[in-house]
Amino acid sequence: MSLLEVENLHTHFVKRDLRNQVRVARALNGVSFRVDRGEIVGLVGESGAGKSLTASSIMGLLGKSARIVQGSIRFQDQELVGMTAEQLDAVRGSEITMIVQSPITSLDPLSRVGDQLIRVQREHHAVAREEARRRAIEMLMTVKIPDPERRMRAWPHELSGGMAQRILIAMALINAPKLLIADEPTTGLDVTVQAQVLDLLNDLVRSRDMAAIIITHDLGIVANYCTRVAVMFSGAIVETGPTREVFARPRHPYTQALLDSVPERAKRRGGGQLSGAPPNLYALPTGCLYNYRCSKATETCRGVPPLIDVGPDHRALCHHASA
Amino acid sequence: MTVLQFVARRLALTIPLLLGIIFITFMLIRIGGQDAVGMLTSPLASKQEVDAIRASLGLDRPLLEQFAIYIGNVLQGDLGNSWQSKQPVLGEILRRLPASIELLFLSIILGAAIGIPIGLRAAMRPNGLFDQVSRFVSLIGFSVPTYWMALMALFVFYLGLRWTPPPMGRISIAAFPPKPVTGSYFLDSLFAGDWSAASSAGHYLILPVAVFSLIVAAPIIKQTRAIAIEILNSDYVRLARLYGFRPQTIRRLTLRNAFTPIATYIGSELATLLAAVSLVELVFSWGGLGQWGLNAILFGDFAAVQGYVLTLAIFATTIYLLVDVAVLVLEPRSAISK
Repeated sequence: MSLLEVENLHTHFVKRDLRNQVRVARALNGVSFRVDRGEIVGLVGESGAGKSLTASSIMGLLGKSARIVQGSIRFQDQELVGMTAEQLDAVRGSEITMIVQSPITSLDPLSRVGDQLIRVQREHHAVAREEARRRAIEMLMTVKIPDPERRMRAWPHELSGGMAQRILIAMALINAPKLLIADEPTTGLDVTVQAQVLDLLNDLVRSRDMAAIIITHDLGIVANYCTRVAVMFSGAIVETGPTREVFARPRHPYTQALLDSVPERAKRRGGGQLSGAPPNLYALPTGCLYNYRCSKATETCRGVPPLIDVGPDHRALCHHASA
Repeated sequence: MTVLQFVARRLALTIPLLLGIIFITFMLIRIGGQDAVGMLTSPLASKQEVDAIRASLGLDRPLLEQFAIYIGNVLQGDLGNSWQSKQPVLGEILRRLPASIELLFLSIILGAAIGIPIGLRAAMRPNGLFDQVSRFVSLIGFSVPTYWMALMALFVFYLGLRWTPPPMGRISIAAFPPKPVTGSYFLDSLFAGDWSAASSAGHYLILPVAVFSLIVAAPIIKQTRAIAIEILNSDYVRLARLYGFRPQTIRRLTLRNAFTPIATYIGSELATLLAAVSLVELVFSWGGLGQWGLNAILFGDFAAVQGYVLTLAIFATTIYLLVDVAVLVLEPRSAISK
C-alpha cells in the first residue's frame, strides 16, 4: 500500500457566465498517481496543466468555484475526498504539509518567526510553549539557519527570500509530516539559493523517511532530485515512471516534445520549442486530449487513450505508446 | 528614528502647511467673498460712511499688508474678533468646539461599532445576500444628503412618533447645564451626579448621533469589506488554511492584520468629519463649531471664517499625526519598532 494514492481524480470549476449559463471548466480529467514512503515524485507540465490544482485538491483547499466531482485521494488508507474541513484540519499541517512558492508573503506579517513556528505546533498538538520553543529552535538549526535564537525574534519582512523559504520548510516539517508537497518551492529564488534549498529538502525528506511531491516546470530539478516523475497535460497524467527511465525513453509524444524543448537537448538534437496552446478547458477535445497538437496523431487518437505499460513501472497514456 | 523625532519632524512640516491654508483662506474670502462692509452697514449709509467703516476695519489697505497684520496677530494667539458677536474668535471657537467633538466622537464610535462588524461579515461571502444588503445600505449612507436624512429623522421620530426631544440644542430648556469640565453636557452632568440633566442631555444626543453615525458608517462598511477580502485572500491566510489552523485562529489572524488599515482609514475619515458634522449641527441647532462656522460663512464674517478653517486644518493635521504615530508604534514593519 502506498502512502498516497490518487485515483481518477476529476476537479471542475463551475461558474455562471454573464447570461447566467453554467460553464464548467474541466481542469482535472482523471489524475492518477501514487507516492510511496521515502520517494520524491516530480509533477511536471506546462502552466495550466493542473499541477497546483492537483496539490490543492489533495490539501482539500479548493476555491469556491472548484469541486472534486469524481475520484479518490487515499492517504494512509484514509479517504480524503468528502472529509469535512474539521477532519481535514487534523491532517493538513501535521500529516500532509505544503511549501508554497511565495515564502515572504506567506508568513503572517504581524508575528515574529518564532511565534509562527510555535503556533504551527500548538494548533495541532497540546505542547507547552517552552517545549514548542525548544523544538522551533532545533528545527531552525535543522534547516541550517544561522543563529536560530536570534532568528526566532525576526519579523518576516526582515528575511531574504531564501531565508523565508527555509523558515517555511521549518514550519512545514516541525509537526513531522509523512508527506510534503512543494509547489514550485524555488520560483523567485536565485539559482545558488535554489540549489541550497532543494538540497536541504532532499536531505530532510530522505533522513526523515518522508515522501515528497515537487511541483515544478524545471526538468533539471526533476532530473536531480526526483526518483519518479509524473508528466501532466491538460489535467491528466500522460506519462509516469522512474525519472531515469522516462527521461531516457519517453513514450508519450508530449513528454518527448517537453524533453526536446530543454535548451541543451534542443541545441544538441536541433529540436524545437513546444508549440501550441493548452486546450480549452470549457470544450475539451474528444479522445486523447493531446491529439490536436500531436505530430503523431492518427484516426485512433479520437478514441479515449489507454494507459499502457511501456517498461518497469513506466506507463504512458497514449494509443501509440506500445509501438 | 524615535517616536519623538518623528513627531518633531512632522510638526515642523505642519507649519508651512498651516501657513498655506491660512493664506489661501484669507485671500479667497477677500477676493471671492461678498463685500463684508456692505453687510455691516445700514442700507441707507452714505458712501462716506461706508468708506469710513472700511478704513476703520483696515479693509482699504493692500491685501498683502492685511495678511501680514493678520499673521502677526495669529502668531500672538489673536484670531481677531467676530463682526457678528464682537467677541474674540478664539474664545468663540473654544467654547463651541467641545459640543462638536462630542457629537463627532460618539458618532464615529457608533459608526465604527456598526460598520466594522458589517464589513467583516460581508467579506466572509462576497456577493452573498448579506453583502448585497449591506452594500445597498452603505450606498444609501453615501448618497443621501446629510441634512435631508437629519430632517427626515426629525420628521419621523420627533414630529411623528414623539420619541425624541425637539431639535433645539443639547439639553432641555428646563434643565440646568452642568458646570463645564469636558464640555460634553452628558458627561459633565454624570460627573456632577445630576441625573436629570444627564438624562436630558442623553436624550438630546440620540437623534443627531444616530443620523451622523449612519453617514459615518457607510464608508467604514465599504473599506472594512475591501480590507478584509484582501486579507482573506492573502498568501498568509491561505498558508494558515494549508497548515490546518483552527477557524478561530484564522479569524484572529485576519482581524489582527485588518486592524491597522481599518484604524488608519477611520482616522483619516475622522479628520474630514469635523467639517461634515456642521450640517447635522445646523438641523439640530446644536450650537457647536460647525453651526457657528456655517453661519460665519453665510454672513461673511472674515475673522470667524478664517478661525473656523484654521481649526479644521489643525484638527485634521493632529488626527493624521496621531494615526501615523499609532501605526508607527503598532506596526512591526515601520521604521521605529524593533
